[in-house]
Amino acid sequence: MEQLLIILVPTLPLLAALINHLAYGQLGQRVAKLSVTFAVFSFVIAAVLLAQAMSGNDANQVAIGGTWGILLADPLSTLMGLLIAGISLIVRMYSVRYMIEEQGYGRFFMLLDLMTASLLIMVAAGDLLTLIVAWHLVGVLLYFLLGFDSSSKTAYRYAFWTLITYRIGDIALVLAAALLFHAFGTWTLADIFAQITENPGAHEYFGFALEELVGILLAIAAFARSAQFFLHTWLPYTMDGPTPVSALMHAGIVNAGGFLINRFATVFIHTDSVLHLLFVVGLVTAIIGSVLMLTQNDIKKALGYSTMGQMGFMIMECGVGAFSLAIYHLIAHGLFKGTLFLGAGTVINEARKSDGVPKDGLYTFVVEHRIAKRYQPWLLMAGITLIVPIIILIFAHWLVAQDFFQKQGAIVLLFFGWVTGAQLLFTTYRMGAQNVWRLVGVIVLSFAVIVLGYALISHAFDSFLYPDPEFSSQMYIAAGIDIFWFDVLVVLTTVVIVGGWLRKYYSEQNGKPGQERIGQLWTSFYALVSREFYMIDIYASLTRMLLKASSRLNILLRWR
Amino acid sequence: MTEGLLLLVGLFLPLFPLSMVFNEVFQRIRIANLRVVLLLIWPQIGLVIAHTASVEIPDWVIFWALGSALLYAFRALALREVGVWTSFIATSTWAILWLLMDGQTDFSKVALYALALSVPLALLVLLSGELEKRFGAAYTGLYGGLALSLPRLSGVLVFVVLAIVATPFFPGFSVMMAAIIGLSPHSFFAAVTVAVIWLLWSWAGARLLQGIIVGPAQDEVKTDLSLNGTWVYSVILILLVISGTYSIGNL
Repeated sequence: MEQLLIILVPTLPLLAALINHLAYGQLGQRVAKLSVTFAVFSFVIAAVLLAQAMSGNDANQVAIGGTWGILLADPLSTLMGLLIAGISLIVRMYSVRYMIEEQGYGRFFMLLDLMTASLLIMVAAGDLLTLIVAWHLVGVLLYFLLGFDSSSKTAYRYAFWTLITYRIGDIALVLAAALLFHAFGTWTLADIFAQITENPGAHEYFGFALEELVGILLAIAAFARSAQFFLHTWLPYTMDGPTPVSALMHAGIVNAGGFLINRFATVFIHTDSVLHLLFVVGLVTAIIGSVLMLTQNDIKKALGYSTMGQMGFMIMECGVGAFSLAIYHLIAHGLFKGTLFLGAGTVINEARKSDGVPKDGLYTFVVEHRIAKRYQPWLLMAGITLIVPIIILIFAHWLVAQDFFQKQGAIVLLFFGWVTGAQLLFTTYRMGAQNVWRLVGVIVLSFAVIVLGYALISHAFDSFLYPDPEFSSQMYIAAGIDIFWFDVLVVLTTVVIVGGWLRKYYSEQNGKPGQERIGQLWTSFYALVSREFYMIDIYASLTRMLLKASSRLNILLRWR
Repeated sequence: MTEGLLLLVGLFLPLFPLSMVFNEVFQRIRIANLRVVLLLIWPQIGLVIAHTASVEIPDWVIFWALGSALLYAFRALALREVGVWTSFIATSTWAILWLLMDGQTDFSKVALYALALSVPLALLVLLSGELEKRFGAAYTGLYGGLALSLPRLSGVLVFVVLAIVATPFFPGFSVMMAAIIGLSPHSFFAAVTVAVIWLLWSWAGARLLQGIIVGPAQDEVKTDLSLNGTWVYSVILILLVISGTYSIGNL
């Protein structure tokens, strides 16, 4: 019975796509309702499978086509399956009315159904071939979904960027699969992982351990799919596609990188430096994505860069060994980003009525007779900002796992939590509220609730996805670095964070020393950011150069 | 003697500059049906010669084939004339067959792979004939907007191009996978080259599609592909999908 359910989850959307294609002439726009109905069933079955996995049932699998076509129902696949089925159901329900006036209404739902089926197969794939096929098809289908409006050349231009970036990732995945197949003689993931666990480091290719080489290739595949720096330019520019597609893409498709890393966790824990690479690339992406997001004046593009930053953070979490946290992150991000995209139209309408720019303090004091902002002593506020979040964070994590602080990755994540909490309290200070202490109290309470909830849920995710504590601790060990250098980095980062916040508070109240010189630097930096670090220009010129070279070669060889 | 035979095979499983012969012949022929026959037969001649003469393929020929496939895939990027595009991609595709002639893969399997690679190209020739009938030329960027004005023709064109660029479930996918699987343990560089060739096909395919089907609808009304014609194309494509799906299981 369970095997039938496993097959039904991706088959239902496939069936919906087929009926849509064959019966659009008879059903007309009713195909959308058909698609939603099938999606509801798919979602319910995915929920049943997850419930079974959570109740402690052993991982099950079904093989459709001999050496390939294996579908899994393990904790990771059922969790991801429910997320995808859920988000795609919401997107389809939203699209029923949103797309009603578009030409190609039936085609849109067919593509959406096919995309959902491919994503569901991708997360349930139990062998390398099925994974590659589904992985590849997601890119192709996304190209046609983003270019849904076939009259728009711009939409297709950016859809093409997506396709090419995804193809780079596909290639890396294919190469990784070929090496794994050659080494272990099987396409089945369970068998490959069992052999790696039994005898890690047994195979070498081109002077590298197999795990190391495969890990790097898988990382590249994940980078391309999750818009990591250097392979990110497609993400913020694909806004010419329909809004429901943007929602599905940002809430579901870009998360594939985090999924892939988790699926191949057994490979990654046997690597030396790949997790460090993930950390660095993720960190750079998180920073650059966030900086670029802040400079955008187009809400959808800002959301695009926000996704890039979040994906960077997700990859970075994998890089510190917190694999299950990355899954929690991608689910939480998927839900809130999907909501933001589907609500973007309303926000744009609201913005047309009111620009939402905060009024100047002098204006509110003179014209609206509001009392001027009051600031508390900066040193006191800086102290609260720095100390309160770290106490909350340490307490919450100690509560869920006493050995938490033995893991380097956990300490790194604490730093990010610390900075986030400090930023929150700093915002309170800047607001200059009438009753500062009440506001601070409410914010600290909210922060404590969020941190506690986050710690508890991430701990629950860890127990569900990686129930073997030894395997779980191996992830952190693989992500670790030499303890001396780690301590040096911790001290340095602490000094930078504390110094930075103290300076920030001081300058808020006592003016900004050396502002002119920093102002010039700031302007230059802003210019660089506003040009998006020239990445788009570099890629565009590279493309032009290649096309020119191709053309010249053809002329030289007389088109023969 | 072996070198001579290799050169002869290199004429039919085109190795640059011998590949220029095929491209010259293909581009001189203006009749679509003759082009179809040429596409279906040309690589089979090469395979039969290689098989009957039991030609041993040295490593340097493999690298030569890779170079040829890469060269033509790269050159296809800038092409706008559908006929020339077809002949360049055919050259690039057939050169990949050298990688499968390692003595371990059955001759019949390689011959079937060659056929499965040629069929979508032959379909493209027929479609380009349809375009020429309607517009006087099969040329990207010249008219555009066919997705709106000729939806059936565009739909078939999309699937044919997807088959040519080795999308999963089409036989080309299994050919590329087989080539990469065969090469990756021995020469990572060669495997990466095959992967890059695959990427270039996708790029060239996307440019071809965007130059024909994307854009505002044509003002002048043209007749779409007939329903019967669409069915014939669809059946052939479905057969390709079935054979492609079957061949994935044999990897």
